[in-house]
Amino acid sequence: MTNIDRRAFIRGAAGIAALGVSAGFPALVLGAARRVVVVGGGVGGATAAKYLRKLDDTISVTLIERKPSYTSCFMSNEVLSGERTLQSLTFGYDGLRRHGIEVVQDTAVGIDPLQKIVQTAGGGKFQYDACVVSPGIGFKWEAIGGYTEEVAATTVPHAWNAGPQTELLRRQIEAMPEGGRVIISAPPNPFKCPPGPYERASQIAMYCKHHKPRAKIIILDPKDAFSKQGLYLEGWRKLYGYGTDNSMIEWISAAGGGKIEEIDPETLTVQAEIEEFQGDVVNIIPPQKAGAIAFAADLVEGDWCPVDKRTFESTRHKGIYVLGDASSAAKMPKSAYAANSQAKVCAAAIVNRFRGLEPGDPTFVNTCYSVVGEDFGISVAAVYGLNSHTNTIEPIPNSGGVSPANASAEIRKREVSYAHSWFKNVISDMLE
Amino acid sequence: MKRDDTMSKHVRNLLLAVLTLLPAAVMAGPSGQALSFTCAGCHGTDGSSVGPSMPAIAGMDPEVFVDAMKDYRLDKRNPSIMNRIAKAYSDEQFKEMAWFFASQRLHLQPQVTDAALAKRGAELHQKHCEKCHEEGGRPGDAGTLAGQWMPYLQYTMQDFLSGKRDWPRKMKRKVDAAIEDDGADAVSALIHYYGSQH
Amino acid sequence: MPRRIMSNRAARLWVVLLTLCFNPALQAALEQPTGGLMIDNFDPETGKRIIPNERCLDCHGDEKQKTDVRDDGTPVKIFVHKDEIEASVHGKQSCNNCHVTIDRVPHRKAPEVIVGCIDCHRDTWVQYKDDPSGKHKRLKVVNEQIDSYMQSIHAQPNSLDQSRTNATCYDCHEAHNVGELGSIQRAEKRLKNPEVCGRCHEEQLKAYRTSDHGKAIFEKGDSESAVCSDCHTTHEIDSPETDKAKLAITKNCGDCHEEEQRTYFDSYHGQVHRLGYTNTAKCYDCHGSHEIKGEDDPTSEIHANNRLENCRVCHEDANDNFLTFWPHGDADDKEKYPGLWFFKVFMQALIFGVMAFFWVHVMLWLYREVMDRIQGKGFIEDMDKPDIVYFRRFPVAWRWIHGLFAISTMALILTGTTLIFSHTGWAKAVVVFLGGPLMEGYIHRTAAMIWLGIFAVHLAIAVSNIWRKRGEFEWFGSTSMLPNMKDMRDLRDMFKWFLGKGPRPEFSHWTYWQKFDYWAPFWGAAVIGSSGLMLFMPEKTALILPGWMFNIATLVHAEEALLAAIFLNSVHFFNVHFRPERFPMSTTIFTGAIPFEEFRHDHSLEYERLVASGEINNYLVRRPSRRADLAASFITSVLIMAGLALLTLVLIGLITSPS
Repeated sequence: MTNIDRRAFIRGAAGIAALGVSAGFPALVLGAARRVVVVGGGVGGATAAKYLRKLDDTISVTLIERKPSYTSCFMSNEVLSGERTLQSLTFGYDGLRRHGIEVVQDTAVGIDPLQKIVQTAGGGKFQYDACVVSPGIGFKWEAIGGYTEEVAATTVPHAWNAGPQTELLRRQIEAMPEGGRVIISAPPNPFKCPPGPYERASQIAMYCKHHKPRAKIIILDPKDAFSKQGLYLEGWRKLYGYGTDNSMIEWISAAGGGKIEEIDPETLTVQAEIEEFQGDVVNIIPPQKAGAIAFAADLVEGDWCPVDKRTFESTRHKGIYVLGDASSAAKMPKSAYAANSQAKVCAAAIVNRFRGLEPGDPTFVNTCYSVVGEDFGISVAAVYGLNSHTNTIEPIPNSGGVSPANASAEIRKREVSYAHSWFKNVISDMLE
Repeated sequence: MKRDDTMSKHVRNLLLAVLTLLPAAVMAGPSGQALSFTCAGCHGTDGSSVGPSMPAIAGMDPEVFVDAMKDYRLDKRNPSIMNRIAKAYSDEQFKEMAWFFASQRLHLQPQVTDAALAKRGAELHQKHCEKCHEEGGRPGDAGTLAGQWMPYLQYTMQDFLSGKRDWPRKMKRKVDAAIEDDGADAVSALIHYYGSQH
Repeated sequence: MPRRIMSNRAARLWVVLLTLCFNPALQAALEQPTGGLMIDNFDPETGKRIIPNERCLDCHGDEKQKTDVRDDGTPVKIFVHKDEIEASVHGKQSCNNCHVTIDRVPHRKAPEVIVGCIDCHRDTWVQYKDDPSGKHKRLKVVNEQIDSYMQSIHAQPNSLDQSRTNATCYDCHEAHNVGELGSIQRAEKRLKNPEVCGRCHEEQLKAYRTSDHGKAIFEKGDSESAVCSDCHTTHEIDSPETDKAKLAITKNCGDCHEEEQRTYFDSYHGQVHRLGYTNTAKCYDCHGSHEIKGEDDPTSEIHANNRLENCRVCHEDANDNFLTFWPHGDADDKEKYPGLWFFKVFMQALIFGVMAFFWVHVMLWLYREVMDRIQGKGFIEDMDKPDIVYFRRFPVAWRWIHGLFAISTMALILTGTTLIFSHTGWAKAVVVFLGGPLMEGYIHRTAAMIWLGIFAVHLAIAVSNIWRKRGEFEWFGSTSMLPNMKDMRDLRDMFKWFLGKGPRPEFSHWTYWQKFDYWAPFWGAAVIGSSGLMLFMPEKTALILPGWMFNIATLVHAEEALLAAIFLNSVHFFNVHFRPERFPMSTTIFTGAIPFEEFRHDHSLEYERLVASGEINNYLVRRPSRRADLAASFITSVLIMAGLALLTLVLIGLITSPS
């Protein structure tokens, strides 16, 4: 029997009351309406913009995004298997506009933390009281010899930001002859979407199983372990003959010489540490760093942006908050759900700051589904709290983790459907 | 022993009383709202899910919520992901989230249903289910059925029928009776009835 | 459900849903249609779920499904009558205000039926005690009943199952159907009362059904007839073996049978009972209890054929004469009890006549002496020269006799009047102080024996004195107690003097009021003594006298005693002690001597006679010693005080007398 006790009730009710009060909080009390400029319309930026307005609709929020619409990276591996189109991953920003957010299609090129101004390529200058920067990732082109932005756009796509390269990669796989070979080069840690390269291999295998059953997919990995590894291997064994001579998927770890050094885009030959690999389709996912604006605004230390984990305020510049993949938010992975979760913590912290309140204790969740094949879904989940002594986000002990090993077919099948529902809810939570 | 128990209860009650008096900011741990916001990625903003396999939890009965979370934490329901997540929270946090979702308005999505099945489902519901799942299964102490996502309801019934989840008191008798009345399609009819409501 | 069907359907659904969700026209989310939020179903103060009664009645009010099945498969009644609840005093309550264990609907586990009637009624009363609207006024009564219940045998742990009480609120109260005062439910409940009690008290119900009370209830539906609770009370129920219950039951009989109770309280049985003791016959000792019937019914306990049995329970040797005793004899009922009525009228006329005459006598005397004193006349003791010579008026024997007489009379008054005035608090206190009615009876009879003994001794002495002087005894001489014509003249002259129309008469050795005081006990001894002896030995008396003689004896014994008590403690005290010439007291009866001057004043004729005959010297004594004087003053004071106290108690009893 559950008894909802009085304290919980009061806290709940107080939360509601706070929302109610804030909704009608007269601007006079606070002086001029507070302005927040959000740079980047991905999961982090869009979620932060929406939740800022949700928590306090007196705040004026401007979202600066260079693209007219959003294309989700998560689930984009399903484009490679033909399970869905890129179109099905693309959404406009009208939902955010309905929340009263001004969405500006432009590219932020600089942020002045003293004057509190965001400057855009289009010549716009946006004054802010708080600035949220959620630029996503950039690539370290210099890390792999022969690999350039131009090569990626034309012959060897990274397809690591969903878009034209995703469709290019799909076309290359479709065009590949039966018995052909796909090479996927996974990036070193940390990188966006840790299970992504392996789901990609799975999705390509899923396609090939039906259309090019003798095809091979080789994953070259500069790591000796990867996310949800046990579950992937279980799925691959079950679906793609992994571990047999006829395995459709081959994973070459760092120890096996999986780290690549350079590529010849002409011959589609990849030079790995031990041997050369030649493929019919090559997908290189380069090492990653924070997106360009983070560097331009001097928010980066090393490759990523250090933040106060309680608020996601940059430790380099007050008033600027860095979310999502670009932030250094260990031990959270760089994932959509993580960015979504961080955005809410950040939005609440900004609202509290405007009200002169201390930020509350943050709580984070990450969930991530991967579709390994037909009726075979797997997931990882974690709930995080802040260890304020070490300024690290740590998983709550004895919780979270991956799907159980050797689960029933029914559970695996349900996780596929959960994955698709998860996708809808994440999209809806950031954009609707 | 007993004396110690009551003593510590007194101390705990006293602490609770003191905590209640303090402003929320001083309290340790994330607020109910912060905790509940993290659920939105799977269960929709404020718990109004738009993904058919994920149940809507907005406007959910808070005690049903806490019961469910505790069952997940104990791996008592056919687990997928909620059992792993539930283990991260204390009873108190469950309650706070329960209150948050109980304070939200449920936004239902239209679902495609078979009108004939739904009609039969409505009759079956009136006959076998309405007393617990009142008003056609509107959110209440027996959960949320009306307008709930059909795939989720399907999974749930599968789990009950396959013994993967314990039946609530008396429910097995009622479902058996419904199946006896209407054959194997009874459960499907009911789900279509619930799915047809908004 | 077959998986195949479901997966087909699910697949179809998927396709449709995918299109739906991305179709903006259809995507507009639908509002939860009900107005409120889930949180509104919870009490903001306590966080507890608010369960509307309609929710409970969904299942418990369903006429088509009055039973349900327990978890163990056994059936259980669950039906509750909606209209009844709504019409009851608890109609506005939430079901789970009482059914406190119910916090979830549907119930997550088999609910325990625990209803905390007492706590709720107590708490609510404490909360609304001072509510000026008076809406919760009735709760005061409810709480008094609760207090009574808590003391009752029903609240005791059951001897077979110590975890339960013998009976709890809802064993008797149909909580769903408790009516307001004056409501139909209450009248119905009254008629149902015997059956409610009979659920446990089966034997008693069976007997009750045959009784006049029971027949009126069950056959005529007469809600005026006595039901269990009328006699046993509703909440103060105790084992009928306890004094408390016995007293309560008798009192409760009287709530309907007022006349019978009044006449019962006039009887010795009733007087003792009213003092709070249960050793005498009570209503049900004669009438029976549950099977009570009229006297014409041959199975009735009070039918002429059966009545003697009941008498013999206490009066083992009771003979047929007991049957002519009037247990409810009413001296005020001239029609039914003319003999008794006559005695009462006679005794009251006597009391009234004597008291009226003497109180007038007293008042006028007082008036005259006061007037005389104002004018400097009358007998005034010269304080500077107290008498040193006294006149010996009483020999030692008489002094002892008077002392013992006074004490035993007072003891008789005290113990006897507790019965006459058993309605008073002082009577109850005195009986308790004396150790109960039995002990009181012993004291009364012992005092009576002493009194009669002294009376006899005095008679013997007096007769032997006369016998010794039989030759020369002057029957109407100056020292004779026999009334004579001079007494009549003195009486006349006293009144003249009182009214200032003549001089104060000159008296001989005994004045007329002293002679009255002397002869009154002769009458009293005859009346009180004989009636007292009859009441002392009822079985022996009944051998020769009819039963109604007890009624008459009880009446005259009491009335005569009252007369004596009032007369002695008012008129006698005034004549001897309180009139201004004597005030505050005369100790002569204990010292035996009267100051010479006083004697000369009060008994001037006797003085002159003694001086003339020279006998005076035989009577002159020295002033009593200081010690003897103090002792006599002390004894006199105590007796006067006691007498006045008794007079006060008697007057209180008379004034507060219910009839």
